[in-house]
Amino acid sequence: MRLLELHRVSKHFGGIRAVEDFSLEVQAGEIVGLIGPNGAGKSTLFNCVAGVFPPTSGEIVFQGKRIEGRKPWELCRLGIARTFQIVKPFASRTVLYNVTVGAFATTSRLAEAERRALAVLRTLHMEEKAHVRAANLTIADRKRLEIARALATRPRLLLLDEVMAGLRPTEVDEMVEVIRRLRDSGITFFVIEHIMRAVMALSDRIAVLHFGHKIAEGLPAEVARDDRVIKAYLGEDYGAA
Amino acid sequence: MNASTVTRQPASGRPVLLRWAPLLLLLAFAFALPLVVRSATYLHILILLLLYAYLTTSWNLVGGFAGVLPLGHAAFVGIGAYTSTVLSLQYGLSPWIGMILGGMISTIVGVLIGLPTFKMRGAYFALATIAFAEGLRVMVENLDRLGPFRLNGPRGLQIPPLEVGFGRLMFAEKEPYYYIILTMLVLAVGITWAVSRSKLGYCLAAGGEEPEAAQSLGINVARLKLIAMAISSFLTSLAGTFWAQFTLYIHPKSVMSLDISFEIAFIALIGGRGSIAGPLLGALLLRPVSDFSRIHFGDTLPGLHLVIFGVVLILVMLYQPRGLQEPLTRLYRRGMQRLFGTGEGG
Repeated sequence: MRLLELHRVSKHFGGIRAVEDFSLEVQAGEIVGLIGPNGAGKSTLFNCVAGVFPPTSGEIVFQGKRIEGRKPWELCRLGIARTFQIVKPFASRTVLYNVTVGAFATTSRLAEAERRALAVLRTLHMEEKAHVRAANLTIADRKRLEIARALATRPRLLLLDEVMAGLRPTEVDEMVEVIRRLRDSGITFFVIEHIMRAVMALSDRIAVLHFGHKIAEGLPAEVARDDRVIKAYLGEDYGAA
Repeated sequence: MNASTVTRQPASGRPVLLRWAPLLLLLAFAFALPLVVRSATYLHILILLLLYAYLTTSWNLVGGFAGVLPLGHAAFVGIGAYTSTVLSLQYGLSPWIGMILGGMISTIVGVLIGLPTFKMRGAYFALATIAFAEGLRVMVENLDRLGPFRLNGPRGLQIPPLEVGFGRLMFAEKEPYYYIILTMLVLAVGITWAVSRSKLGYCLAAGGEEPEAAQSLGINVARLKLIAMAISSFLTSLAGTFWAQFTLYIHPKSVMSLDISFEIAFIALIGGRGSIAGPLLGALLLRPVSDFSRIHFGDTLPGLHLVIFGVVLILVMLYQPRGLQEPLTRLYRRGMQRLFGTGEGG
């Protein structure tokens, strides 16, 4: 079943063509990676899907419904959640408070929201940090908090924008494990990631963005072998890694 | 509220009564105070203290929880005062009914102000609300009548003390006023408490702190701010009617001036905006300064209290940016812990 479809999506900022004619399908239960060099237009594409701004042209279809131009909070209620590349915790509040705000997307009762928030925190092994102020978290925990908060809204599709950046290798492995487990529980993932090891291990399919154009799409192994991808992005470095 | 509701943990073993005991004691103390304070002057000062605590608590719903800084709440005080006064002078309507009608008008006006201005951020929002309130004051100052309603421009309106009694919200002594404003304050604090523990409160705070993140979590931030503004302007307006009935004379400078808006903001910022105790503490600390500086320096140094507020605000913002409620709440918690030895860590 196709959960998310992008048909020839373009986003221009004045004369800058940040994303051009991008098409992609994400099946329910998949983990699809989106990679590309800095400035390739990945976050712009995410922002179009998440409703931060509408695409200049093209269609975005979620569960059979056109969603381009809808507001972020409407999309959240439809089942699309996201994390931010530059984390945006409610810093003066505790971890539990942060996640409870997310849980309020699907319930109106405080006790129920807190119960769900705690359950999410347990899945992400953060329950012992529940009463820590978000401002006092390490970067790894802040990234995890972004995911926890998004998860608490009970999404069908989760957009992850570089949640591995800044994590230590063991933490990356943990995060990969967590995302796989969440996928098994029925959540679909669309993931921007710079850490190649993680995105290769995690993704069922990968799309490659370069200067706003999709230059490749396929299985991780195929993409890694693709000449244009290697030239545009991976360079010699990937062979070494 | 930061420390008080967020880190709420089950108070294991501590009976509920004990948990609420300090609050109940405080309430009993507040209700018993007029039995001890017999001086009309001091009672007057206490009433103003409660009035400002009430105003700031009402303001706090939008200024504290929603993370914006409205500086035009005097407009709602004015609308409340003028609505009930005009209706009671011209049509003999009970000020209680005028109070509710004024509240409804203020709610509509508050939402109308909020619609365009909540899109602005930081100082721009504050400036827009100042502009609106000042505009309204200047308008009233220059209007002798508005349609069928006599406003009397800058001369204001005098309420002749003909009929005293609860139904007319007019009393010969000060005690009834004290109990009415105290009840209003208790209700406003109760509403704040309920909001802070509700979806509305959580989502407002989230939207105030990180609007983009809040929106991605399904929160229509602008809509919630309008709801907060509606509640806040309604409650603020009720105080306007109370004020009019208490002083029996209103004019644009007395019920709509910028000083009122500023004093509310000072109290909130120094006491701690976004917390329940902040406005109460702020009023408790600042109102006496304001009154005594007016009593003792009213002739020689008018406006001295605003200078003092400014200095205090700078110091508080430097050393306790969350307001004085934070260290005091911590102290209180530690005291309770020592007394009862239960873990309610903050």
